[in-house]
Amino acid sequence: MKLNFKLGGALAAALLAGTMLGGSVSAQTLTMGLRAGPDSIDPHWSTLGSQAEALRHIFDTVVMADENLQLKPGLATSWKPVDDTTWEFKIREGVKFHDGSELTAEDVKFSIDRIPVVTGPMSMTIYTKQVKETKVVDKYTLHVITKAPAPTLPNDFVRLFVVSKSVGMDARNEQFNSGKAAIGTGPYKYVSWEPKGDLVLERFDGYWGEKPHWQKVIRKEIPNDPARMAALKSGQVDLVNYVPATDYAAMQKDKAVDTFIADTVYFFNLTPNVKDTLPKPVKVEGKEITENPLRDPKVREALDLAIDRKTLVRVVLEGLGKPANQLMPTNFFGGSKSLPERPYNVQKAKELLAAAGYPKGFEIDFFCTNNRLPGDAAVCEALSQMWARAGLKVNANALNGTVFFPAQQKGEFPLWMSGWGTLTGEASYTYGSLVHTADPKTGLGAFNKQGYSNPEVDTLLEEGARTMDDAKRRALFEKVTDVSMNDRALIPTVQLQTVWAAKKGTMVIPPRVDQETLAYEIKPKS
Amino acid sequence: MIGFLIQRLLQALLVIVAMSIIVFLGVYAIGNPIDVMIDPASDQALREALIHRYGLDLPLIQQYFVFMSNMLHGDLGESFIYRLPVLSLIFSRFPATLELALTAMLIATCLGIPLGLWAGYKPDALSSKAIMAFSVLGFSVPTFWIGLLLIMTFAVELGWLPSGGRGPVSTVLGMPLSIGSLEGLSYIILPAFNLALFKLGLLIRLTRAGTVEVMSSDYVRFARAQGLSESKVVGLHVLKNISIPIVTVFGLELGSTLAFAVVTETVFNWPGMGKLIIDSITVLDRPVMVAYLILVVFLFVLINLVVDLVYGQLDPRIRVKASS
Repeated sequence: MKLNFKLGGALAAALLAGTMLGGSVSAQTLTMGLRAGPDSIDPHWSTLGSQAEALRHIFDTVVMADENLQLKPGLATSWKPVDDTTWEFKIREGVKFHDGSELTAEDVKFSIDRIPVVTGPMSMTIYTKQVKETKVVDKYTLHVITKAPAPTLPNDFVRLFVVSKSVGMDARNEQFNSGKAAIGTGPYKYVSWEPKGDLVLERFDGYWGEKPHWQKVIRKEIPNDPARMAALKSGQVDLVNYVPATDYAAMQKDKAVDTFIADTVYFFNLTPNVKDTLPKPVKVEGKEITENPLRDPKVREALDLAIDRKTLVRVVLEGLGKPANQLMPTNFFGGSKSLPERPYNVQKAKELLAAAGYPKGFEIDFFCTNNRLPGDAAVCEALSQMWARAGLKVNANALNGTVFFPAQQKGEFPLWMSGWGTLTGEASYTYGSLVHTADPKTGLGAFNKQGYSNPEVDTLLEEGARTMDDAKRRALFEKVTDVSMNDRALIPTVQLQTVWAAKKGTMVIPPRVDQETLAYEIKPKS
Repeated sequence: MIGFLIQRLLQALLVIVAMSIIVFLGVYAIGNPIDVMIDPASDQALREALIHRYGLDLPLIQQYFVFMSNMLHGDLGESFIYRLPVLSLIFSRFPATLELALTAMLIATCLGIPLGLWAGYKPDALSSKAIMAFSVLGFSVPTFWIGLLLIMTFAVELGWLPSGGRGPVSTVLGMPLSIGSLEGLSYIILPAFNLALFKLGLLIRLTRAGTVEVMSSDYVRFARAQGLSESKVVGLHVLKNISIPIVTVFGLELGSTLAFAVVTETVFNWPGMGKLIIDSITVLDRPVMVAYLILVVFLFVLINLVVDLVYGQLDPRIRVKASS
């Protein structure tokens, strides 16, 4: 028996030696273990967050976003409206593509024109839908003419990746995936990729911006949480993203790792269906009633008052979150600073229910996802228990996203909770979609499945959409936030936080609200 | 023989048609794939346009016939998510799964049959009882849990083996395989052992049961009486007579390992087909789901066919019956 052990040890040692030789450990190489990666190397294929995150290394965008999603110059050094429907973008001079050619306004125009031709089911046209046409004024000036006044165009262009005109209109996913067409101006060059596998990148020495520290970057996709954490602990990767709350607690005591925490753009919001009749009627003392109690503002306030947000954060999310009083961070464009913290008061909730005509409460079905954001199902179940204290019987159903989203789209839920991230850093993205009256003609209210309709909010949003002046627009959207939140068109619960972990003392990961892990922003610890 | 093959192919076709209908109906019942994939910033017009572009506004029957007629032309479609031909997407993952499944089956067979023979040959020995206890663990403890334990022990604590992923590949017989190098082997050991555990338990029990039964039969007694050595009795007479059920189970297990190694692939981040199909299901990437399941049906039919042919080699009685 002893002999066998020795043999096993020797075999393993030999294998270990093999591992060491192959994976040459260099201080200049950064190996990242990430939850998700791109679906294609074509930056115009999909709006998926992990797609943008990965491709930002290879391609630059016209406008860039800082760690709080506020705008900063990218391939455009400045932008200003020339008139109500024309934006002028000054393109940065002296920028080189990976093939050595120089960036001009023609490449930007080509990229805008290319999107509708090649984009997939997660359509990038949402970022160019306001564009009517583009005009190249001179080598470094581009005029973008919009269909209507488009004050948020620079926000849309945060996702406008620029590819070289030389790839031609016929290049598709295959040409990009093979690297042939993967020619950008970004800090890293494409080396290799396979779907759901590793993306290997090499530093581009002709980059126009700050030179990144890491010479070689390997982005490994490890979607399974325990597997990703094990990869960090065993030293296979240098850093991991999306550390689960339970591991975070343990890692804070672990001397071998550093952790980095950040607020995110993701909020859990409750949506009460306020249509005349509910898809499934509520029950009072076991009997179905025809009216929809959620139409009564008192009932919505009662639902809100019964939520103990501090407990949700501390117990259910194990500290990785913050109580929320609106649908996006307050420092975003249009976020309200005047809204108070949401109080927790079960007694008052009971009184309001009684005043609304439901002294014995009612029974209602409640839906949420169980696999989209950390803690979604747990928060959902905790909420139904909190409401039980106020005398309501809420049946929580945590569904797989594959089942949840189509049913939500069909309007099958009376009350639901979903995660929402304001990825553009400004209010029209979120409130225009969620609280404006659903109107297929204008494209507003596309995700307003709860039937909420408030003429005041609609007018404010529409006015904001055509106000080019930043200060005036900001005031309009702050008003939208105040009115819709006081109306409880949606009820915000908690803002999520995210955690990265890295080998102790090796690097500093700057926190970003969009949760992106960008190799060129990660600095070695000095 | 040819009639037998044709019969098998017809069976396969029927199963494929039935299965494709079930998948189509299933996806249809869940909902529209566009609703799962769509970006939250999209408006209603874009949603309609996308649904139209992917033909999802057509009646289900029509969608199905478009798919079937394309399939008869050898075109299984393109993935919604990757816009790559489904077949090349699946086959790019196939070598990884194949080598993992074969290594696992090799481990299970090389350990399982000798251990089972021993346990059946000496059913009362302490070592046999230990083997049987181990076999119970093998198929009763959940795979993902054992996988995590293996990772914690050998990768995190001892640091002997990598915690996941696939090692460097080299081309062997025209396929990119990782088992050609020592480093590649270091990556496959843990997942393959994890995947082998269940089959190992199964094979041990199966072999033992067969051995116990055969050991008390007349021909073993006669063989012994003839003066044959024990190794010949067990290795030749016993093994050959218990091999039919073992081959059957081996075939079935090989098929299911190839098709559904998904738990192990997920825990060890092995870039195989199982992970691809699970990812496709979570986003309702219907072309990949249907094509994958069709391939799985083919695979099972093929393996069963090979198993039937092997029966004939092992047992002349089956061969005679088939030809008569």
